Amino acid sequence: MTNELYAEKNINEFDIDTLGTSNDNSKKYLTFISDGLVFGIPIDNVIEIITNHTVTMLPRVPDYVQGIINLRGQIIPIIDIRLRMNKPAAEPSSSSCVIILEVDSIAIGILVDVVLQVFDIENKVTPPPSKSQEFISGMTTLADGTVIFCMDCKLLVNSK
Amino acid sequence: MNNGMESMLDMFLFETNTLLEQLEEIMLESEKEKSFSTDSINEIFRIMHTIKGSSAMMEFDSLAKLAHRIEDLFFIFRENNCVESFSEELRTELFNLMFRSNDFMRSQTEKIENNEVLSDNIDQFITDINTFIEKMKGNPVETVEPIVETPISDLKPKDINTDLPESDAAYLIQIFFDDGCGMEHLRAFMIKTAVKEVIGEDFTCIPADIEENSETCNYIIDHGFFLCIQKEEFVEKVVQVLKEALNVASFEVILNPNVKKATIKTEKIEETEVKEEILQNTSSGDNAQKAGSKAPNHQTQTKQSIISVNLSKLDSLMAIVGEIVITESMVTASPELKGLKLDNFTKSARQLRKLTDELQDITMSIRMIPVSGVFNKMNRIVRDMCQKTNKDVRLTIIGENTELDKTIVDSINDPLMHIVRNAMDHGIEEDVQDRINLGKDTQGEIILEAQHTGSDVIITITDDGTGVDTTKVLAKAKKNGLLTKPESEYSKREILNLLLAPGFSTNEVVTEYSGRGVGMDVVKQNIEKVGGVISISSELGEGTCISLKIPLTMAIVDGMDVAVGNSIFTIPITHIRQSFKVSKEDVILDSMGNEIVERMGNFYPIVRLHNLYNISTQVVDVEDGIFVWVESSDKSYCLFVDDLIGKQQVVVKPLPAYLNSFNIKDAGIAGCTILGDGNISIILDILNLHAASMYAF
Repeated sequence: MTNELYAEKNINEFDIDTLGTSNDNSKKYLTFISDGLVFGIPIDNVIEIITNHTVTMLPRVPDYVQGIINLRGQIIPIIDIRLRMNKPAAEPSSSSCVIILEVDSIAIGILVDVVLQVFDIENKVTPPPSKSQEFISGMTTLADGTVIFCMDCKLLVNSK
Repeated sequence: MNNGMESMLDMFLFETNTLLEQLEEIMLESEKEKSFSTDSINEIFRIMHTIKGSSAMMEFDSLAKLAHRIEDLFFIFRENNCVESFSEELRTELFNLMFRSNDFMRSQTEKIENNEVLSDNIDQFITDINTFIEKMKGNPVETVEPIVETPISDLKPKDINTDLPESDAAYLIQIFFDDGCGMEHLRAFMIKTAVKEVIGEDFTCIPADIEENSETCNYIIDHGFFLCIQKEEFVEKVVQVLKEALNVASFEVILNPNVKKATIKTEKIEETEVKEEILQNTSSGDNAQKAGSKAPNHQTQTKQSIISVNLSKLDSLMAIVGEIVITESMVTASPELKGLKLDNFTKSARQLRKLTDELQDITMSIRMIPVSGVFNKMNRIVRDMCQKTNKDVRLTIIGENTELDKTIVDSINDPLMHIVRNAMDHGIEEDVQDRINLGKDTQGEIILEAQHTGSDVIITITDDGTGVDTTKVLAKAKKNGLLTKPESEYSKREILNLLLAPGFSTNEVVTEYSGRGVGMDVVKQNIEKVGGVISISSELGEGTCISLKIPLTMAIVDGMDVAVGNSIFTIPITHIRQSFKVSKEDVILDSMGNEIVERMGNFYPIVRLHNLYNISTQVVDVEDGIFVWVESSDKSYCLFVDDLIGKQQVVVKPLPAYLNSFNIKDAGIAGCTILGDGNISIILDILNLHAASMYAF
């Protein structure tokens, strides 16, 4: 009972939040694959995508923090999205790459399996049914039927 | 818009703080000489005027009001330099009043900085200043009228053009001041003085007794202030003066109707213009000797040779320059160039290196500021404590132009303050007779000295007081349970170092200034935070000398690169005592299985970096790797690493903000640095690393 109420409340809040942005014009999302799932990140947060990089390991951090990289003099921490979601780490492959994000002037890089493309998402983004991942803020379906999990970068940076 | 306001606030705070610092310096100087020189009075007047103007503009009323009142006070001094004739008591009161006001204004600006609400309660100050002015009046030598506006006016408002005061001068200039600017008669007097400087004595003014009679201000409000000038050639000059004078709302040049009736010119000075001038005054450099009240023909535009820059901009400049230097070596040492004969390239590369080195030097020097600011603050502390503790002490400052990185200068302020207070409180003898008995000068001396030595600056604080009584220190340390070995085994140096231990205070009584027992160990921590080292030497009966060895800059440290597995770590050289290899037999195991090694008669724990940080490495046998004996504060231990790579200077970069939530600092990591090949090396924090390793075991 309480759960239902909670979910309802969430939906309402979400509607109010997204009314202004999603209704005027569509929002652009960069999509990528991690462990078979398609995720989208608001394009505003994306700085760049890099491929070959040398990660320096950091001691005493959670395993999903891969380490830090030197991006043209900037030190940027790298998070493995798979490990962040408690999935097994991927075998190193040529398609995996790091998306550099900037959220509230905090820069982080996320390691993903494959980067897809940028989509205009017009459809209503609905909150996920379960709160299994705190940084997934919504879900939506593309024209071709692909389901996209939308990531909230703020939550990603702030949640541990 | 909001941004503009913010930067204006920044500017205001910066300038007000600079001015208040200047004010304090002047006050201390003047107190020493027991009088104000004309220059310092003018300077204080100018400072107060500027603060008044800018705080009024920023709508910090309490500041503006107080500044205004002090400005008035100094106006009186300016007109009759009477401070010398003051009695001892009155003078002390004046200085105390001024210092209190200064402190108040500082606390206000601090509040503004922290976005706190300003206290409006300045009545106390205003009353104090008023009482002081009253007292001054009571002084027989004093002839100054109190600045109290009495609403007596037998003159009725009249039409200005028909009712001109009687004068036989050919030209009359009628001046009106801004509504409600107050002290009209004093402002009129300023104009009179300014005009006098331009055209000499050849004019009169109406009312004539402005400096003596405060009631004239009502007349000036109603009728304006008149300057009567005979010669036409002077009129233009006076008009110039008036255009630049402050608080002049409007003025009019009138041909005396007794001679001819015509208006030559009407000028209306926009209020904004006046404000602009205030701004200009505020932004002028320290040495700019211009004040709105000063003769405007002296108002040569001082060239701005100093600009203030936000520190964060300098930080990013520093970072970029560091990058350039590294990139340069990446390019010139590129493995792809190996074996090629490139004469031109080598030549250009050499040129590039020269330029980048120069660039780095200049960038470093930009961040350097002299320690004089911090040193001069100590003057105030010595002064205050002299008064409170009834000791006669002089502070001698040597080498105040020594330059240090801005962040370091800021962070040595508190430690220095503490040391100087300690020297005043514990160092200098309570009783002058003690000094006389020892054949010392009755006046105590504290010497504050800074000097360069290579990549460090050494700051010494020497006092000629009692010195440290080692037996007392030992007894106290014993009482506080700070001793770790029998008393007799302590060397003098070790005893003195006990003073720096946490929870130590030799003073029986906790005074307002020192003796809380948190003092010296906090000082030590702060100094170590900026990579400095503190040491004490003392002779009983002769005095104490505390010396701080501080690196020029924190941004660059000398580091030893060590390898553990695939990772590279940098250990700050200042913390390394020795590196050595041992054989298996030298490693001792305690009951818990912890490894211990003996060095120079003492036993130190071994910290295996690969174990602590969970790094896989081939080197696990103590005979394959190498030990680095490190020491920070009172913690000393041996780090076991795979290999030493080499010593180099590294640019310290903080770790990304995202990682702060993982308490990575507690894991013994101080920051990171980018190596010549673009890889990252992690800089170890020896003190925290020790704590981390203890926690791990």
